[in-house]
This record gives sequence, structure tokens and C-alpha cells, in this order.
Amino acid sequence: MNTTYYVCKYTPIELLAAFGARCQNLNGMPQGFDRADQIAHANICGFGKSLIESVLEGNVKELVLVNCCDTIRTVSDLLHETGKLDFLYTVDMLHTGGECSRERTVAQLKALARAYGEYKGTQFDPAAFRAAFRPAPRLREPHISVLGARMGKELFEMVQKAMPYPVENETCVHNRSVGEVLPPETDDFDTLMEWYAAELLGQIPCMRMMDNTGRKRLFNDPNLKGIIYHTVKFCDFYSFEYAAVKQNLAVPLLKIESDYTLQSSGQLLTRLEAFAESMDMTRCEGKEKKMGKGYFAGIDSGSTSTDVVILDKEGKMVNGTILPTGAGAAVGAERALEEALKDAGLQREDIDAIVTTGYGRTAISDGDKSITEITCHARGAHYLDPTVRTVIDIGGQDSKVIRLDENGNVVNFVMNDKCAAGTGRFLEMMARTMEMSLDQMSQTGLKYKEDITISSMCTVFAESEVVSLIAQNKPTDDIVHGLNKAVASKTAALAKRVGGEERYMMTGGVSKNLGLVKTLEETLGTTLVVSDRAQLCGALGAALFAKDMVQQ
Amino acid sequence: MQVVETFGRYLDQWSGPHPVRARRLLRLGWEAQNLKNKYLPDKRLIPADRDLAVIMMDAMLKPLQKPESSAIVSVFTPCEMLQEVGLNPYNVEAFSCYLSGSRCERGLLQQAENAGISETLCSYHKTFLGAAGKQLLPKPRCIVYTNLTCDANLLTFRRLAQRFQVPSFAIDVPMDQTPENVAYVAQQLEQLAKFLQECTGKTIDQEALRARLRRSRRTLEKFNQFQTARADRYLPTDLVTPLYSGMTNNILLGTEQVERYVDELLRDVAKAGPARGKRIYWMHTIPFWSDAVRQALVFNEGAQIVGCELSQVCEPDFDPEKPFEAMAWRMVYHCLNGSATRRIEAGIRHARQAGADGVVWFDHWGCKHTLGSAQLAKKKFEEAGLPLLILDGDGCDRSHGGEGQTSTRLGAFLEMLEEGGTTR
Repeated sequence: MNTTYYVCKYTPIELLAAFGARCQNLNGMPQGFDRADQIAHANICGFGKSLIESVLEGNVKELVLVNCCDTIRTVSDLLHETGKLDFLYTVDMLHTGGECSRERTVAQLKALARAYGEYKGTQFDPAAFRAAFRPAPRLREPHISVLGARMGKELFEMVQKAMPYPVENETCVHNRSVGEVLPPETDDFDTLMEWYAAELLGQIPCMRMMDNTGRKRLFNDPNLKGIIYHTVKFCDFYSFEYAAVKQNLAVPLLKIESDYTLQSSGQLLTRLEAFAESMDMTRCEGKEKKMGKGYFAGIDSGSTSTDVVILDKEGKMVNGTILPTGAGAAVGAERALEEALKDAGLQREDIDAIVTTGYGRTAISDGDKSITEITCHARGAHYLDPTVRTVIDIGGQDSKVIRLDENGNVVNFVMNDKCAAGTGRFLEMMARTMEMSLDQMSQTGLKYKEDITISSMCTVFAESEVVSLIAQNKPTDDIVHGLNKAVASKTAALAKRVGGEERYMMTGGVSKNLGLVKTLEETLGTTLVVSDRAQLCGALGAALFAKDMVQQ
Repeated sequence: MQVVETFGRYLDQWSGPHPVRARRLLRLGWEAQNLKNKYLPDKRLIPADRDLAVIMMDAMLKPLQKPESSAIVSVFTPCEMLQEVGLNPYNVEAFSCYLSGSRCERGLLQQAENAGISETLCSYHKTFLGAAGKQLLPKPRCIVYTNLTCDANLLTFRRLAQRFQVPSFAIDVPMDQTPENVAYVAQQLEQLAKFLQECTGKTIDQEALRARLRRSRRTLEKFNQFQTARADRYLPTDLVTPLYSGMTNNILLGTEQVERYVDELLRDVAKAGPARGKRIYWMHTIPFWSDAVRQALVFNEGAQIVGCELSQVCEPDFDPEKPFEAMAWRMVYHCLNGSATRRIEAGIRHARQAGADGVVWFDHWGCKHTLGSAQLAKKKFEEAGLPLLILDGDGCDRSHGGEGQTSTRLGAFLEMLEEGGTTR
């Protein structure tokens, strides 16, 4: 028997079950959208594309949709056109729950019942209808909730593994509550449908409903220890809720965005682990090692450079080394550590503990522990200047803004999305276009005359804008200043999102870019602390955590 | 051009820290533009369209001049009842266009994104939200909106109601075209009448409303005649005029000035010379700010826009004697309501009506329905014998443009039409 797939909590799955359907929520994340991109546009929500992908793969033969949003409405048309489904139905669910809506919903239910019954050749079975109502298990103990736009199965499993508490999926279709109350004891179809329409409409509303005040319940559970707020790229519904709640929550909040593919999980994992670390600092502590020679190392394996810091038992820095990462994180880390040991006149066995951080942190087998670069940057920045409350780190692959407390603990953080705009890579690409080195670029933007705005946020389009400015003979200083403004504006936006507070410190390799630092200071309306050891900040934090690991 | 850029820079700098000064500057700038529209109109336009520029600018200015007599509305909200209680439409999409035309959209978009609104939300909505957030826009009397064709409305208008702390009314429009759905919407419109009366303390005279609906129907019928008549005529046009018709046939529909405008259009088309060049029917919004599109299609005998989807609301088959049902019918049977296939079929009908040689399907960044159905549209239009170009871009946000690519795609499409080929 075919499975009848559904995607929305307003889908009358109990009604379908009464006609003999075996219903299942379609929620897997594909590797990519090769098939879907052939019939849909790349810039629609990844979940919509994952639906198309599943149907085109031939895995789905029966699908009941709801007109959840413009994307699903369109996906319904596209799927209809493919002719690949044996049964495709879209329920025209209204956006209100009042008396008139209930009447219209009853009509919708009856229309679906007719269509599905004809397709299956079955009749409504009141006993099967009643049996389909089963309450979903709910967590009663302290837990973390995932809220917002629907989260795919694989990402949810990753979240569960990363968190220090059990996790409840309360996104979209997952907080379906029909089933908690049983239908009235009657076999009369009309009576049952009137009751059922009210049950469907009476659930915790989703963001497409006109009155969604009932969603407050999701945020007020006394057992809630933290919230992971998930949005899907090109789905706008839940960013509004996030914007409304982000300043008013009593529990820690992490915002993540996925494009509904399995890719990019590395970046999301860093955020999840950093969030878990901020809720449970014991993960970063633990005095499980004995003191030897009293030296501790931190290795920050980034996409561009690998940095090593060695501290002595007083916490003084005895060495800081920066080397290009090269082809592999593990080899790069080994090379950088060897170089650092050589410079410091130490041997590998003199080091009592090593903590690794950065993108390549888990690939390095030498380390005793790995901690995310977010927690390490906060710790390192606090060590360099205890008055700092906001760290801006623009790295090669990503940029992040971290807010910390007076003890150097992470209070909140935000990272850029997958797009390269606003990262070191963006500046690197632009420097290449302008045929200059990053060092030259760092000085160039300082002496601008015309205040040029690079309007394209997309790196590719920005590059073509730069090419056209070069063709117009615009002075290099003016163009570089325009580029600095583009990066500064993206970074300032991140700082605003995280609620940045004085004093600000800039870390990472891009902190050496004088023009950008100046433009960013103007954009933020404040001065930035730039330490001469700014690039070593992550490795320094890691070394401090390594020192914590050893009993003194 | 430098003047507009400077104007935009001051608006950007002052909105937020000096909102009163910024609002005054905005109003002053737009009033100056309106004087130009009245006394130094663009003579390349036909007389009706010169007047249209003034009608639109007046409509934009009223909410700035009398915000307490204005209601924020989405573009497909029926406004006849608002007109009856003396409320001016304060339209999100049109305002965002004019703010973008005033070159201050970047800071407003950024403001919305900084607040946590997603980068992928339609830029018309984001610009307006940013302008409200930076207090560049005044507080309205109330808000009326509908989910019709665009579900971003459900979010934007709710947030605006919270931001301005004013009453709001939402009209839920189901997607299927059935008499039951018309009745469902009509019931809501009766409630809207009560809401508007409560908000303003004025009473809606049923006979006056019927007369207004009769005018609405006549206006749509005459606009329809104009679109048929222009099929073998050449009418020079720019990029904003087709968009303005989207406003006159929606938020300004039912007013005397718009009926006068369509009468004038019929007179102008009768005097126009024979058709020239390649004729483009435009689906969805038009990136009026794009130099690449301007160079290809503005006041160009070789190629010009002959109609825009947004101005062709529905077949005017509603009964004005039952005003609530009439407005509800217009919403449920709106060409953009329901399935993509229905929308595409209307586009094919209207492109043929205006004698189009080709169609541009403009993939406005952020419009999920348009983006999602682009490939389907290409297939259906070309099966109907109308070559279609899918053009990616943004109607309002310059940062989503790739001018080089727009110029190449549009240029190649026009060359292809010259050669009589298809894009396949």
C-alpha cells in the first residue's frame, strides 16, 4: 500500500486514515536540488524544493498539501504538471478560525473525503477515524525547544546530539496537537466533520494564520531551558516571529537558518556547539589532566590560517604562531604546532594540554579537547582586554559577532549565512579583481574622495560593479572605500542583531585592514579595540581552556 | 540625478535620529516633484499618462499631508469603502517604489534586516517596514489588508499594526473561484464596513457605494477596451506608467479621477499612430530604476511595454448593485488569485489582447509565487505562441540587480524577437 504523505499540521490525516490511508509526514533533507532546480527557481524555499525532489525521485505517489504559503501553492502547480503523482490534493485552508471559517473548512474536509474516497475506492470508516486520534508524546522534564520554520529530520538529529538537554521539535508541522481529544461518540459523518474542523483550526496557530497570539504558549513552558529558533532560507514567515521575540525571552536563544539540504552542516554544528557550551560551561572545563612542565597550547585551525598560542603556567603567552592552513587542517595544525614549539624552544611532551578550535578543530587528532571558536574568541578577547563586551571577528570563511559578559562567557552570538559577502573572502576576491594585495588594499581606502556605494550584496554582482567602476576610471581609493563600506554595513548589521554593546574588539585577520577598521568604526559610531595579538585571539582562548584542564 | 541622490542621502541620514525633519523633507521633495509633473510634464508621454503621473503623486502625498485620514493598505485591497469614509489609501508597494525612486531604500532595507526580518522578504515590504522602523512614515488612522496573491501581507501588515498601534482589519481570500468563497469574502467586507465606520465615525451610504462600484466596473471595462484598442497602435511609454495603472485599477479604483483617466486613454489611443517595433507584455512588477531596462524599452519605437499584469484585475463581471458581493467577486476572481496556471492563462489572454510579440516574466526577488512558477510560465506561454523571457531582478532594491546580465538577457530577447525565433 502506498504511503500518503503530508507536510502541514492542518492536514486532516485522521480523515484520510478513515479511508484507509497510511499517512506520514514528509520531512527528509536531500543532498541537493538537482532535479527540483530544473522545474523551479533556485530562490524558493528549500523545503518546497525538497518536496519536488522527493516526487521527482519517485519516492512519493500520494501527497496531500495545504495552501500553507506562496511556495507550497506554487509547488502544488508544478507537481501537478509533472504528472508523477497518483494522488495530489491541495486543501484550501483558510487563514482564520472563526465560525465562518469552520463552515468553509467542513466543506473542504468533505471535498477531500470525496476525492480521496473515489481515488482509493473506499468508504469513511468511523472506527478507523476514531482510532487515528493518538496524542503525541511531549517532554515534561527540562528541555530545549526547536521553534520556528520546519526543521528537517537530519538537522533535528544533529541538534539532539549537540544539546546538553533533551530537545523537543515544536516547529511548524511538528507541534500538531490534533489527537489529544477523542471525537464524539457518533458515526454521523456531518457531526464528526463539524467537530473535526474545530479541532484542526483550534491548534497552536502557525504564522500563516491571521491571529497567531496562541503561539505565546510555545515560549512559556516552565521546563524550557533554551530555544533554538530555526528559519529556512527563502521562507519569510518565521523571521517575523524571531524579530518580535528575540529581545523578550527569559531563556537563552540561538537563531539558525538552513536551506533544507544536508550541506553546510559544519557551520551550523559550530553554532549549535557554541550554544551548548554557553549553556553548560562545564563542557569546556574539567581538570582531568595532571600538571607536567606547565605549558598549554591552543590551536585555531581556520580556513585561511592556522594559529597556535602557547601559555606558561602563569598564563603568560610564550609564543604565538600564524601559518597558512594549506591543504588539510590536520597537517596544517601539526606544522604550526611544530613551528611554535621550535620558536619557544619546547618539546611536544612539555605541553600538558592542547585545546583545538576553528573549522578544522575536529580533524586534529593531537588535541585533548575541541571547543568552538566562538567560545574561544570570547575567552581570548576577555584575556586581552577585560572591558570588551562585543567581539567582531571577520574571518576568511565567515564573520561573527559575539557578545560576552564581564567574565568572558558568551551571552549571545551571530554568524553570517553561507554567502561570502561581508567576509574576508569577499575582500580577497575584490583585491584580486583590482590587481592588488590585501596589504595594499588595507592602506588604499583611507584616502578616498568620492563616497561610492557598492549596491550589490552578492559577491559576483559586486565584482561586476567594481569592474564597471574601474572602466569609469574611478580612483582606486574611492572603490576600495566603497568595498569597505559594503563589508562594514554587513558587519554592523550583525552587531545590531546580536545587541552589540561597548566596548567592541575586532579580531581575525581582517582586523589588520586599516581602511575597513576605520569604516567600521564610522558605521558603528564607536572605536574598536584592535590588539596586536588580534589574529591570535581564538588560539589564545583555546590555550586558556587548555590551562583550565590541568590541575595546578 | 545628483539632486535625487543628495535628497536620498539626507533622507537616509535624518530618518531615525531626526524623524520629523526627515518626514518634512520627504513631503517637500515629493511636492516639488508633483509641481514638476504638473507644470513641466514629460512631453514624450501621451496626455493621459502625463496626468496619471500627477494622480499618482497626489495619492502618495495625501498620507504625508493627512496621515490621520489615511489607511495603510495592500495593493489588492478594495478601497471603495475607504473612499466613502474619506480615508486615503496609504499603499505599501507604491510607497516603497517612490522611496526607492527617492534613492533612500538601502538604509530602510537594512533597518528591517537589522530588526531580524529575513533578507529574502519582498523588498517592497522590507522597504516600508524599514521606513516605519526609522519613523520616516507617519502613523495612519488604521490598516486594511488581504492575503490575496501575496502571503507576505499576513506578516508585514500585522507588524505595522503593532508598530503604529492602530486598529487593523484582514480580509481572508480563499484561492478557489466558487460562489461560496465569494459569500465568505462578502461577509468579511460587511464587517470591514463596520470597522471603517467605527474608525472614522462616518457612515457608508449604501447608494453612494453602489454608484462607486458602478464607476469601478465602468473604469475596468474602459481600461479593457483601451488594452484591446492599443493592439495595433504605438503609444510611447516609460517604465513607471504601466505600474501606475496597477495602482489606478486597484487602490484608486472607484474614484472619478481614475474614470476620467481611462476616458482620456481611450481618446489618446484613437489618435495614436500605427504599431511599431516589438511589443512586450510584462508579468509582475517592473524594475523602473534599472538603466538596462530603461535603455531597452523606454520611449523606444523599436521595443516598448504594452501592458502589465498588475493593471489587469479581473473580467469586470461583478454586479455593482450588490456592492459587498461585487468587491468580493473581484477579489476571489482576481487574475492573480489561486493557482499559477490560472494566473498564466490570464497573462496569455491579456498579452494577446494587447498585441504583444513577447512576454517578460519578471522574477522579482522575494516573490515566491512568481519565482516558483517561472518555468511553468515559460512552457505555457510558449505553447501559446508567445516567446517568454524570464528576467531575474528586483523591482525596488538596487542591490539585487545585475545590470550587465539584465542588459544582455533583455537585449538578446529583443534581438531574437526581431529574428522571429523563440528562446528555446
